[in-house]
Amino acid sequence: MLYRILFLTLLGFTFCIADVSAAQPEPAVNIAANTQSGAGFDDFDAAFSEDFSSGKPADEILINDPFEPLNRGVFWVNDKLYFYLFKPIAKGFRLVLPRPARASVRNFYSNLATPIRAGNALLQLKFHDFGTEIYRFVINSTFGVLGFFDPAESVAGVKQRTEDFGQTMGFYGIGHGFYLVLPIVGPSSLRDGIGSFADSFADPLRYADLRTVEYLGVKAVDVENRLSLDHDTYEGIVQDSLDPYLFMRGAYAQRRKAQVGKESYNMNIFEGPVFDSDLLNPFEWFGFD
Amino acid sequence: MKKLLLSLLLVLICSATVFALPDPQQEVAKMVDSVLEVLKRTDLDVAQKKAMVSGRVQKFLNIQSMAERTLGPYWAGATAEQRQQFSDLFRKVLEGTYLNRIDDYSNGTVKYLMQRVKDDKAIVDTSIVQKDLEIPVQYKMIYENGSWQVFDLVIEGVSLIRNYRSSYGEIIRRDGYDGLLALMQKKVTEMENRNSVQ
Repeated sequence: MLYRILFLTLLGFTFCIADVSAAQPEPAVNIAANTQSGAGFDDFDAAFSEDFSSGKPADEILINDPFEPLNRGVFWVNDKLYFYLFKPIAKGFRLVLPRPARASVRNFYSNLATPIRAGNALLQLKFHDFGTEIYRFVINSTFGVLGFFDPAESVAGVKQRTEDFGQTMGFYGIGHGFYLVLPIVGPSSLRDGIGSFADSFADPLRYADLRTVEYLGVKAVDVENRLSLDHDTYEGIVQDSLDPYLFMRGAYAQRRKAQVGKESYNMNIFEGPVFDSDLLNPFEWFGFD
Repeated sequence: MKKLLLSLLLVLICSATVFALPDPQQEVAKMVDSVLEVLKRTDLDVAQKKAMVSGRVQKFLNIQSMAERTLGPYWAGATAEQRQQFSDLFRKVLEGTYLNRIDDYSNGTVKYLMQRVKDDKAIVDTSIVQKDLEIPVQYKMIYENGSWQVFDLVIEGVSLIRNYRSSYGEIIRRDGYDGLLALMQKKVTEMENRNSVQ
């Protein structure tokens, strides 16, 4: 009798195990199969750590803001500038230019700013991203007619990377310092403000021999055009949040953290192919893979 | 005999847990599809659409859990009545915020990128594609009461609940718990008025 029970129990467990492996790919496999290299359980647990910590969580401060009263003042001015100056101009853009044309203008500016993204990818030793940016620049500047179109993404599926000097500093462990709302520019921080200034030296427009007024004009077209493509995000935030200033600050801090944190684990340059795309992969043209 | 029954029971429990767990990604897809279905209907006006979407989405969301995590450390210190009050207002704020924007997404498509599951928690990665825009949206889910439920949305790296938690916490520190509730009440009234004007 005892043996039979033992046997049945064992049988039961065997079924159990068999069931687990036979029915749906279970959690562990799921994670291994679906995640890109590096991001696994660590990443997964980190995503839940704040929500499910057993102890009493500390008050959440996403970014230091010692100059809050000053920042709120600048925020107020920016808010007025947005509603009474920048937004009406952006609406004018919408009237004058159809959406695809504005998307092309955005692509053009974006393509022009490649040195900023490529340079910062290089500074962070993200050779994969560096390759991606160079590839996009070559494809879009030629097949994409000076960058007005984006065949690198629309045909080959190679997406732009967001890299800037603020992220580069973050990558090497430099924190925000403190939150700063810059006039006209909006949410920034000590680190990211310095980063933007540094990036401006990698901006080809700086060396285009323009007068200051012309330079600012060209920049303003870029900003207004982008604004015209946006789905009234800021209006939504102002309408729906209890305190738009706090909402924007939190969103800025979180977004920058995500941008800095992303792929920072990926220091190994041999981990992936240099180009994302199977199509239009120049390595393949030369018989490499 | 008892042991036999026990082992049989074990087998049953084992297989039950495996088979009962549905796919979190499928659950998200169900939610998205049920919303898109309403949005694409032409025989309804905006108010009717909003009411239908609200009804359909709520069974996929764990509002209770969202409210709890939004208050974070302050949840423990609140009385049952305060918690109830907060949850009700919070649900209305969420509704007001997202139902007003549903028309923005009526002609978007959703790509399901991957899902990660560990025990009773899951992360589902999707992206909403719309014209020349692609927005990454991540659903954080927990398995509760026999189904996968969404308790947080992470849009372009910004967790909604985290953002609420940090700003609501700041308001509580500044104006106290009642100050927060008053501010929420004011916002909800504002949203309702805006709706009736439209």
